[in-house]
Amino acid sequence: MAASPASLRLVRAAGGRELTLLAGCLLTVLVFSLASPYFLLAANLATIMRNSVELLIIGLGMTFVLAIGGIDVSVGLVMGLGAIGVGQALLAGLPLWLVVLIGPLCGTLIGAITGSVIVFGRIPAIVATIGLLGIYRTAIYALLGGSWLSGLPTGLTTLVRMTPAGVPLPVIVILLLYLLAYLLLRWTPFGLHILAVGQDEARARLAGVAVRRVRFLAYLASGCLCGIAAVSYVGTYRNVEMTTGASMSLDAIAAVVLGGTSILGGRASLLGTLLGVVLLRMLVNGFTLIGVPSLWQSVVTGVLLLAALIAENLVSGQIPWHRLRRGAA
Amino acid sequence: MKNPHHRSLLLLATLWLVMLLIFVLIRPAILQLSMAESVLHFSSMLALVGLGQALLILSGAGMDISVGGMVSLTAILTMMAVQAGVPAALIPLLALVIGLCLGLVNGVLVISCRLLSLIATLGTMFAYGGLALALTGGATVSGVPGWLLPWGRGTLLGIPAHFLTTVMPAYLIAAAVLALTPLGRWILAMGNNERSARLVGIPVGRIRFILYGVSGLLSGLAALISLAWFGSGRPDIGTNMELESLAAVLLGGVAIAGGRGGVGGVLAAVLLVVGLQAGLQYLNISSSWQLGVVGLLLILALLSDRLPWRFAKRV
Repeated sequence: MAASPASLRLVRAAGGRELTLLAGCLLTVLVFSLASPYFLLAANLATIMRNSVELLIIGLGMTFVLAIGGIDVSVGLVMGLGAIGVGQALLAGLPLWLVVLIGPLCGTLIGAITGSVIVFGRIPAIVATIGLLGIYRTAIYALLGGSWLSGLPTGLTTLVRMTPAGVPLPVIVILLLYLLAYLLLRWTPFGLHILAVGQDEARARLAGVAVRRVRFLAYLASGCLCGIAAVSYVGTYRNVEMTTGASMSLDAIAAVVLGGTSILGGRASLLGTLLGVVLLRMLVNGFTLIGVPSLWQSVVTGVLLLAALIAENLVSGQIPWHRLRRGAA
Repeated sequence: MKNPHHRSLLLLATLWLVMLLIFVLIRPAILQLSMAESVLHFSSMLALVGLGQALLILSGAGMDISVGGMVSLTAILTMMAVQAGVPAALIPLLALVIGLCLGLVNGVLVISCRLLSLIATLGTMFAYGGLALALTGGATVSGVPGWLLPWGRGTLLGIPAHFLTTVMPAYLIAAAVLALTPLGRWILAMGNNERSARLVGIPVGRIRFILYGVSGLLSGLAALISLAWFGSGRPDIGTNMELESLAAVLLGGVAIAGGRGGVGGVLAAVLLVVGLQAGLQYLNISSSWQLGVVGLLLILALLSDRLPWRFAKRV
């Protein structure tokens, strides 16, 4: 039986973008598995999953930030700062539960700084976070003193590598976080407020939404998630360098935008973010396997981001074709 | 003091005085002619990049985050072309053309493809900067001919040659265009109110497209200076320039939403930012601290618009 129009509508409403992304992911798998015999090996797929963990968590926070119509180019360094906190706590021999808490605590604190500057200082998010990027980078330098934390105790690593009921702990944490975010976004007034603020701030304010509080909380949540990512990072790699997290911000923005969350705010897709992150990480992994130096990574990500946005504008008819033909007149 | 532009310039002047005072108190020897000369020397590239940034922001076209990437990639591509056999005499022309093209790519993305300027130039920043690193593997590209070096390193009348021949004419032209020509009025008008500018028939899209090209051209010029100065193309030469140029433009009294400000303040702010960096260098403070200080300045410049300047009413 042919699909009825109603079910077609449902598919489109549920995720035209998600389906496109899924197709993109499958295509990527196909291409790379043909190009390299190693791509589909279980060990390689596990590596891709392993490399996605931090970006999945940070991307979740970025989804909220973009959904309210904001942006944050400093999230990678927030994770770096959180990782320093976690690393120092490990070195100081604090109990494990406290170490695990320190990550989100640091992250939330920095998220509060970012949020205050943007929301209460009333500074455009992009400019504020470019400025904060410089400040956080200096802070990382000051805290690490030009060297790096390495040879950290293995307590956290054992925790991160735990597999209760056969499922790796990071997977459980990520699924829980995404479930929580989904419930928050779809089933609570707060979720509605986030989308309302992103859609039209003035109208949301008229409707009685505490716009500033909602925006601030989005940055706070993003900071907290960066802190959680930091715990995973330190547990996995057991070292913290000056460049930890440096490339994470663009990756997060690209993944979330690829996933269909609007850069203008008002639209968020958690499943899209998930697929976007997986697609990005598969591309990086695949390119490395076929011998492209990892330096090309940011070129690929940047071009992919731009291509996705242009495609979106073309499909939605925002780019008038006659203007393209005539040049930029 | 009710005029917000005067307020911004007051903040700039205060910061200048505070900086000079602090440096002089810590190390009086800092006040010497050679110091001023080296500040001018270091400020040329940022001044050019900042001018393009300032014009874009003035016109309300948003900002250009990719300036640093453009400088790096232009320097690299120019030198790679020379190594591939293009005559070295063409270096100046090559740098300008490549910079212009990279800037026009931004223009196409923002104006023709209607992407948000911040996300479009964020994408090209990583694409350009990444390309500069990826093409060279992070190594410098040598091969700058000897005749270019005196321009990059020497002085004329006590002023660095490249500052005298590029920055001063560029700022004079920009100031004249802004103050005296219809084009300048248009740029300010469309930054002030895009809708009414369109209604009175100003070709907003076309002018902004051109301004993205100008930003690229000036970045190309900055890349040329870096070539003549260092004698080689460095893939990381433009790193952090988006932060520094935004700080300079906003400290210089240009309103972030556009329509208000001038280029004179921008030049003063560029000298402030570079002077601060040079001073910290002189005091043997690691360059890693400079980034944080510039970031702080950027946020301070924007916060100053928010301060309740109550006393101003009584003045």
